[in-house]
Amino acid sequence: MRSKFAHVLVLLLIAAMVIPAIPAQARQDKVQLTLWHMEGTTNRIERIQTLLDEFNASQSEIEVTQEPQNWGEIYTKAPAAIAAGNAPDMLFAIPDFTPILKDLGAVQPVEDFVAELDAEHPFYPAMVEQYTYDDHTWAVPLYNMAQNMWYRKSVLEAAGIEVPTTWDEWLAAAEALTTDEQYGVGLPAAKNLYTDQVVYDFMIGAGASEIYNDDGSLRFNNPETVEAYDMYNQLLQYSPADSPNWAWGEAEACFANATCAMVIQFTVISTYDTQAEGDAADLGVAPIPYKEGVEDPGTIAYANAVMLLTDDPAKQEAAKTFISWLLQPENYGRFLNMEPGLFLPVTEDGATADSFWEDPLVVKYHDQVQTMIDNSTSGRLFGFTSGRTFPSIASISAQNLLAQTLQLVAIDGKPAADAVAEGQSIMESAIED
Amino acid sequence: MREITHDEAPVRRRSNWRAEWFRTETLMGYAFVLPLMLWLAGTILYPLIASVDLSLQNIKIIGSPGEYVGLENYQRALESPDFRDALKNSGVWVVANAVIQTVLAFGAAVILKQRFKGNGIARIWIILSWVVPTVVVVIIWRWLLSASGGVVNYLLVNLGLADKPVGFFSTGNMAFFTVIMINSWRWFPFNAVILLAGLQRIPEELYEAASVDGATTLKKLRYITLPSLQPVLFVMGLIGTLLSFNVFDVIWLLTAGGPSGATTTLPVLIYETAFKRYRLSQAAAMSVITGVILLVFAAIFIRFMSPAADAEED
Repeated sequence: MRSKFAHVLVLLLIAAMVIPAIPAQARQDKVQLTLWHMEGTTNRIERIQTLLDEFNASQSEIEVTQEPQNWGEIYTKAPAAIAAGNAPDMLFAIPDFTPILKDLGAVQPVEDFVAELDAEHPFYPAMVEQYTYDDHTWAVPLYNMAQNMWYRKSVLEAAGIEVPTTWDEWLAAAEALTTDEQYGVGLPAAKNLYTDQVVYDFMIGAGASEIYNDDGSLRFNNPETVEAYDMYNQLLQYSPADSPNWAWGEAEACFANATCAMVIQFTVISTYDTQAEGDAADLGVAPIPYKEGVEDPGTIAYANAVMLLTDDPAKQEAAKTFISWLLQPENYGRFLNMEPGLFLPVTEDGATADSFWEDPLVVKYHDQVQTMIDNSTSGRLFGFTSGRTFPSIASISAQNLLAQTLQLVAIDGKPAADAVAEGQSIMESAIED
Repeated sequence: MREITHDEAPVRRRSNWRAEWFRTETLMGYAFVLPLMLWLAGTILYPLIASVDLSLQNIKIIGSPGEYVGLENYQRALESPDFRDALKNSGVWVVANAVIQTVLAFGAAVILKQRFKGNGIARIWIILSWVVPTVVVVIIWRWLLSASGGVVNYLLVNLGLADKPVGFFSTGNMAFFTVIMINSWRWFPFNAVILLAGLQRIPEELYEAASVDGATTLKKLRYITLPSLQPVLFVMGLIGTLLSFNVFDVIWLLTAGGPSGATTTLPVLIYETAFKRYRLSQAAAMSVITGVILLVFAAIFIRFMSPAADAEED
């Protein structure tokens, strides 16, 4: 009896050791890929996981896992991970982040792969240009983002105001819309990326979108830039008092709770739909107003992309298989709609994909999303304009120097001309070797 | 008994010292402590040496190569207006936090020492702000103080205490004051618990005797409470100052050192220099200077403020 029990016990122990090892062994046979991205909200992580599950189920030799990060830490964490030999195989990027890792020799060139993808899913050229310099393309564009002016149609109508298109109209509208219960406009003035972006909107609107001369020297200090900062500062008086501490969330909240009549944001659709009225007919979106007479107004827009960090050929091939799968129209729309109305297509077939337009929120806010796509066609990004790319913009962007210059005006009370001159000096110091 | 001559005394002391050192118990004691010493050397001494080594190079970003540049980073740090401003901000930060937290903690400890219904709940309730994670505290306060929908501004305006919403982070001084208050709110319960423990150790008989002698409340505070609390206040002063000086999370999460650098203390500047400006070696030099400043402070504090030092002087 005792002997029989011992045999059973031994068999159970062997089974306990062997059975869990079987799937682990199967996993080890697959090419394991780690994806770091900065889309850290729950709905985005869930959507990416759904897509990863589908992809992994469709592959017998590849398994991709996600490790969400955040933009606040990635500029620190990614170089540290590379130095420690723990870098992910794939890492999402924005244009001014890529040069930092590229200079560490950690990013694989992907121009051949991008050309392959382009043949099947033509990219909008500007999306690829932002990642092409030093004879290579350093990342595969995945989704576009462009800022817009958001407002409630009913609020403007009640005040008898047309949607502003020029700076003068905008200033007058902000003043007229400012009441005891409402701020005319919500603009950030913190030293962060959001403020950088909105400041650059004003620079585009002033005709000062070029930060660099052709020879790579800075031309930030010019009369148009000064006008942009001056205008920004004038509008700030109609913005909430705590906007020097704002990030994206505060602006969205200010609009959602109807405290701000107008805000500059990539999108407010999700918060407006879930935390405000959700009345699609009343939600207005328009191009960002510009200085009258400027010939080429527009907005800040940039492609988010994915970099390949692995130098293992097998992993590189597996990563390419995954990215190709993701850009297939039937998958791509669902990927973009991890945050409906925020992420815009970078490929032509993506822009017409049913999987993009059939999302319930996109259906509901169809007109707004279409306007966002239209606005994005006039988009550009500081340091990546006119088909030229200046990787040193990474130093300017990482330190939020456009925003810091705004604080010289808005917080320290310096005249815009002095602040812009000081801003250029700080930038030159930041990019010097 | 034979007297020990002056010539013999040092020899006897030396041989006693040797005998003491080679005693099994002593050796066993060092053997037990050795792993901890090695652990501390690995986790503190090595990073410290690595920081000094880093500070003598010109490395900008983690993982990139660098060359030795001598004391250039130290010179640059000491000449930098940003460093001087941050050092000044750190000084203001430490003093303001120490004063506000001590006053609040002392008041809370005195109240909690009284016997009243719900005292037990109050003692637990008060440490909640200290138990809640910093990031939660920060998010709560950011929304409470928001000028567009925050409860505090809603109350201020509706109670007629302000004409329009107050921008708690809109100017440098206001932002610094607000961050100090939030940090003090977070940390004073911890100090209150320590002070409460100290207060409870003071014999009631001392107060009773003082009352009999006609001592006023202020005199009891001056001659009984404060002297009795001196050991506790010494520890609070030393540890609290060092901890307070190194606070990073609250400031970074609330203002990221802004607006316009107004809340940039040395830890914030070091982080910015290393990970936003990508000047790793410069940041290491600032860290070493900061470490020396704190070391000097600790030495002076212990020399002049420790109860033992007072006793010796007395």
